[in-house]
Amino acid sequence: MNRLSLAISAAVARVTESALGPYQTAVIRIGFTVTWLLFLLREFPHRQELYGPDGPWDFDLAQQLIGTNGSFTALMWFRGQFWFETVYVLAVLAGVLLLLGWRTRTMSVLFMVGVLSLQNRSIFMGDGGDNVLHLMCVYLVFTRCGQVWSLDARRARARAERTVDRTGPVLWSVFGFALVTVTAAGRLDGDPTVPVILWGVWLAQALWWLVGRHTRTGQSRILLDVVANVVHNGALLVIMAEACLIYATAGWYKIQGSRWQDGTAVYYPLQLDSFSPWPALADLLSASGTMVMLVTYGTVVVQVAFPFTLFNRRVKNVLLAVMIIEHAGIAVLLGLPFFSLAMISVDAVFLPTTFLRRLGGWAARARAGLLRRFPYADRMTKPSEPRTPENPEHTHVGFPA
Amino acid sequence: MNAYDGGPTAPAGAEHPAAPTPPYPGPRTGVAALSLRYQIGAALAVAVVAITVCVHIGMVFLHVAPPNTVTKKHGKAIDDWLYPEFEQNWKLFAPNPLQQNIAVQVRARVRTADGYIRTTGWQDLSAQDGRAIDGNPLPSHTQQNELRRSWDFFVSTHGTDNRPVGLRGALAETYLRHIVVLRLHRADAAGKGGILEHVQVRSRTTAVPPPKWSGEQVSATPVYRELPWWSVPADEAAR
Repeated sequence: MNRLSLAISAAVARVTESALGPYQTAVIRIGFTVTWLLFLLREFPHRQELYGPDGPWDFDLAQQLIGTNGSFTALMWFRGQFWFETVYVLAVLAGVLLLLGWRTRTMSVLFMVGVLSLQNRSIFMGDGGDNVLHLMCVYLVFTRCGQVWSLDARRARARAERTVDRTGPVLWSVFGFALVTVTAAGRLDGDPTVPVILWGVWLAQALWWLVGRHTRTGQSRILLDVVANVVHNGALLVIMAEACLIYATAGWYKIQGSRWQDGTAVYYPLQLDSFSPWPALADLLSASGTMVMLVTYGTVVVQVAFPFTLFNRRVKNVLLAVMIIEHAGIAVLLGLPFFSLAMISVDAVFLPTTFLRRLGGWAARARAGLLRRFPYADRMTKPSEPRTPENPEHTHVGFPA
Repeated sequence: MNAYDGGPTAPAGAEHPAAPTPPYPGPRTGVAALSLRYQIGAALAVAVVAITVCVHIGMVFLHVAPPNTVTKKHGKAIDDWLYPEFEQNWKLFAPNPLQQNIAVQVRARVRTADGYIRTTGWQDLSAQDGRAIDGNPLPSHTQQNELRRSWDFFVSTHGTDNRPVGLRGALAETYLRHIVVLRLHRADAAGKGGILEHVQVRSRTTAVPPPKWSGEQVSATPVYRELPWWSVPADEAAR
């Protein structure tokens, strides 16, 4: 009994005192934003056909369908070209800023608005990759995903003493104005999930700012920090569970299929017109029945086994590597680069911290090397000062990280 | 559950030196630093988050699980929780991968500039998509998903007699018509000064030939599903 209560209090201490997995949440932030940005860039020439007011899934069709399910999309707020182009550009901008980790929390909300706006506007254009981004952009809002590898983190390091943050309140006011306007105009009357998130984050930021203004180390300030940590850790758990459910579903349903049982399943997608960009390569790979069977069985084994391997770090890491390689293969062979990139980003939440730190080190060295070669770019970097332990100021004044 | 921190069997401390350096070191945080009054607030937050997380994961699990006793009883509550924003489907190539190529083809009745009515030949729009994907490292959703999913949507909202079921059926029909008309105009099917009066869509389903080494036999004869002629509204008829 004593042991149990000790374990519980240790667990509570753990999830309240810090936002766990700072590198993992940062790497998925980067992964999802890069996937989304590359997708938007690739589809830029096709944006009208995919999401435009006069595309095949036109404004009227979208309006009728959204009338029945109430999903969130800013694209339905106004009709017309100008608004559509504006939303597309804002979606790109939010993606870039979240990638850089500038005002991470606010940008994660805007990123979510961008992803949902475009995807919910034309739900029949998407595939599994879009579905992953759709879910993850919502979960990301609840994480403190800018603790490392972000402009926010750099700003927090560089700021030795408290400076007055002007950008935060300005951003907050602008978004507050937009939120009030949109709500008053009745544009958020559909499903309550997204409006609740938007209002919730906006109010939480106000609270964070007010409390931070009056007291920097007081109890209420620490309580807010605790709440933010708990929410982050909860969201991180949801993200990991979601990844496990994706693999479990994909794996367990395959077991029931005759083609996955007889070891020929992997051959078939490679023969479909929509998923065969390199027919010669596909033929080469499916030339040997034994090879196809090994890959078929291997896929099922890995997908079914993955959630259980989380209890053993080494096995988990091996499987993670296998899955990342398989997704890279799918990207090329089945012509699904954005789906694969999204899945690799999901996988990345399970990468070990040591590996991620090493990765960060390589990136920093590569960047330093580039800067030596192009010294004029040097003015872009500021010397980062060591952290000051006296500074409890988080990345975001007015923006709960 | 922190996979990257190592499970119970992980050698103690193997990854811990690298474990999260708190990015913002400050005064002691966490519940330990709080007075009792605030600790109650923190406990409340932990409880609310823990319950929400458990319920959400449970709902997603039931949503992706096969129909079962619980989903039969509480299907409505699960749907209410998850739709529309958390809907998901991960039966990726499962239980069986698709073993047919389904091509969507279209032809049109065109009124030419000099007033004649002409019926075009069948155009294989899926084959056009397939060619656009060949050798393309970055296929667009317009080539890979648009027509394919539109046809799936149509099939799932229409009876075998090709009559629409409910609002979604009507939406699927208009959507498919928009796509084929767009493609016909792109191919300039109506010709100079001509207009599209009617379009007809059919699907051509061919079984993927089994692998050479399998010894299986399937019929190579395609199966057609022909939809009735649809008239094209005036505002879509010309380019």
